[in-house]
Amino acid sequence: MAAVGFLGLFLDFLFSMYFLELLLKVVVFPGLMFISLFAMVVIWFERKFLARIHLRIGPLHVGPMMGLFQPIADFLKVLGKEIIVPSNAHRTMYNLAPILVVTISGMGLAFIPFGPSPSVMSIKNWVIYYTPFNLLLILMFFTIRPLIAIGAGWASNSKFSTIGALRAAFQLLAYEVPLLISIASVIMLAGSFDLIQIVQSQSKVWFIILQPIGFLVFFVAMMAELGRRPFDLPHAEQEIVFGWPTEYTGIQFMCVMLAEYIDLCVGSLLITALFLGGWLGPAFIPPIAWFLLKSLIVTVVIIMGRGVFPRFRMDQLLDLGWTVLIPLALIQVLVVLALAQFAPWILPNVTLGG
Amino acid sequence: MDSRCPITAGKDNEGVVEMTVNIVEDGVAEAVKANFPDAVSEAKTQRRGRVVITVQKDRVVDVALLLKERLGFDYVTSVSGVDYPNRNEFEVVYHIWSISRKILIALKTTVSKDDPRLQSLISVWDAVNYHERETHEMFGIDFIGHPNLTRFLLPEDWDKSPPFRKDFKLPTEPR
Amino acid sequence: MKVRWGPQHPVSGQWSFFLDVDADVVVGMEPDVGYTHRGIEKVAENRTYIQDVPIVERACIFDAGNFVFGYVEAVEELMGIEVPERAKFIRVIVGEMSRIASHLYWLCLMSIAVGLETMLMWPVNDRELFLDLLEMLTGIRLTYSYFIPGGVRYDLPAGFREETERRMDYFERRLKDYYKMLYLNRTFQMRTKDVGVLKQADAIRMSVVGPNLRGSGVKIDVRKDEPYAAYDQIDFTVPTESEGDTYARSLVRFHEMEQSIFIIREALKKIPSGQIRVNVSPSVPKGEVYSRVESARGELGYYIVSDGGNKPYRLKMSAPSFRSLLSLPQIMRGVPMADVPTLYMSLDLIPLDVDR
Repeated sequence: MAAVGFLGLFLDFLFSMYFLELLLKVVVFPGLMFISLFAMVVIWFERKFLARIHLRIGPLHVGPMMGLFQPIADFLKVLGKEIIVPSNAHRTMYNLAPILVVTISGMGLAFIPFGPSPSVMSIKNWVIYYTPFNLLLILMFFTIRPLIAIGAGWASNSKFSTIGALRAAFQLLAYEVPLLISIASVIMLAGSFDLIQIVQSQSKVWFIILQPIGFLVFFVAMMAELGRRPFDLPHAEQEIVFGWPTEYTGIQFMCVMLAEYIDLCVGSLLITALFLGGWLGPAFIPPIAWFLLKSLIVTVVIIMGRGVFPRFRMDQLLDLGWTVLIPLALIQVLVVLALAQFAPWILPNVTLGG
Repeated sequence: MDSRCPITAGKDNEGVVEMTVNIVEDGVAEAVKANFPDAVSEAKTQRRGRVVITVQKDRVVDVALLLKERLGFDYVTSVSGVDYPNRNEFEVVYHIWSISRKILIALKTTVSKDDPRLQSLISVWDAVNYHERETHEMFGIDFIGHPNLTRFLLPEDWDKSPPFRKDFKLPTEPR
Repeated sequence: MKVRWGPQHPVSGQWSFFLDVDADVVVGMEPDVGYTHRGIEKVAENRTYIQDVPIVERACIFDAGNFVFGYVEAVEELMGIEVPERAKFIRVIVGEMSRIASHLYWLCLMSIAVGLETMLMWPVNDRELFLDLLEMLTGIRLTYSYFIPGGVRYDLPAGFREETERRMDYFERRLKDYYKMLYLNRTFQMRTKDVGVLKQADAIRMSVVGPNLRGSGVKIDVRKDEPYAAYDQIDFTVPTESEGDTYARSLVRFHEMEQSIFIIREALKKIPSGQIRVNVSPSVPKGEVYSRVESARGELGYYIVSDGGNKPYRLKMSAPSFRSLLSLPQIMRGVPMADVPTLYMSLDLIPLDVDR
């Protein structure tokens, strides 16, 4: 380019392979298009799957067959609705919350590596931004989510929203603890915060076999963090209309729904990467496909919970979290430490003490 | 034999009337009459399982206490008002069931339309709470001692006369 | 904080509660009824006795059979007539089908109250079995106005017995599925055991009716205490549980459905042939009557005063939900807000028959 100075640098960046690849990742995969497609497919699948459990059919008419375009129709309908801000609401926080909730949930996707593939700037894997601490950053964004829910519920200035925000606070903050402790045992086993490293440590045997208790705790805690039945207390329709996002309509409502499905995506990917071997699998399917396949199976199992379980009550939920999950997670950590001390040959990649 | 018919005529023996004797019901009626001879104007067995007692309005609480504590009538089934404009009075009927004896007693009392006030029986049976509230709303009978005689079934802005009175005509009624 | 758990709410039904909530705990509750008050008792005074059959039925649509049952029993007692045996058995069959349909609807409401949508869809689907049978018999699915003073309107059609047997067999298998899906579901048990306990003495004191009473250990059933129609010729049991919590009440309703299947089968076996209706005169002799029947929700009482004409002088319905309503503020005191729909649905209160 003939330009000089900052403009030259900027134009150099704009037309470099790095930027183009970043754009591709952010817009197509694993960014906007992927997440929209994922949300639509999962919404459609959830409705059809639950319908079959309920002995009915689900969406049928919209689309070429089996109501495939129903989520698109819903999306267009929701776009057409008026955005209503309650008169006593705190306008700034109220309007900011849906944007924040989508952004912060989506940030998790920025760090998840999607499997080894040739790439210009990333070290080995298809990831939007690589850092050796990607698991830590994903968890950080996971931990910020409850605050936005509380903020939105408070800003809505409606009784049902306030109660929903309270419930979201209790549930989401309480279940962070077993989540983090079970991840701690995985990190100890793999010896690193890097998801790439963790997946590679599972090349001989998946962590679900080495740490079944940890898997169980992480799975249940993740279902609680995602707000899926039987842990959907913050959204309990039958009691508090819709919980903390009660007052949202139109595109703000859609943002909240989208954030829920982004969380589901990130959660399933995490479960797969941490315990189910990530993208490892026989070579007749590319690794990315293995990753997505396994996390889709995890998503299906999470969705199934909605057809089978009634909702927990707050005190029963907290009871489960504190008296069952945290001790189990701690036991898992102790088991890992004990194995590291006395039988280190079992563990693939331990760099603990010794 | 249907439990509702008190008298069946014997077909083969003409002239012999076979009567089912309702011992327990008659006993209850007699017991009430014996205890309150001046307040009870009528105490009879209507059929098996049904006793009707008419009491003066100022003794109704005492009769009710007798029914509940000594005769075992503990289960309130209904409280209704009936409007008799030709006699210028309301009749309030309490139907109480006795679980042990399996008898229903209709405790009736009348209040005049000019002074429609009656002592509430909520001190005897808790369960008359909502029933008396509804009767008050629909007939305008004031139950003295009831803790909460507020709007129950009618809309909050109802300002016409109590609707179940005979002089309140519905718009769809033939005039 | 005062919350109006109000009519604009996914699960509240056609009324609202004024809840006094402290953090997540309900400290007081006041029901706000009257949204569906239609003045049925007043309207009934201006219709003839036979015109009142559809009026009275609308007091509670889900259990239309039993609501009219009580009414015709009362009118027949006033008239002093007795319906033919065949009509009595047909009335029992329709009453029990109505009871099953009402309990299935209750099952839907109870399940969404605890948050299990599957048990909303299954019973409402299986309710079609009985609504189809009723349509085959009467022509209408919900408000069939089938009983009239003097008997029933139509006889059993050809093929009714076989069709009913087929559907009963299928429904029995479905009941086993319901038991596994809901009653053996650990989460449902956690939500309903020891929740909303209604003690026996309180139940009698507040004159709660029906499965609410039988769930607290009081074995009262009008079909056994004062048998009407053909109930004295069928030997069925009355399910009772003693704990008085939500799970007990739910279990009582489940077993009542099983008993209803048994009663329908027995009635179909024992039904005699003959007339289905006797002629009655339009005017009813002077007198008063109080008739009681066991509807799905509990005991239903009709107090009819007749002045000798062809219209009732006073028709008073003592509706089951109205009577059970008194216990709701008491059992709701001190429960977390998540239990509000659970307790409300466990008493099976339908605003329609509270308001009439």
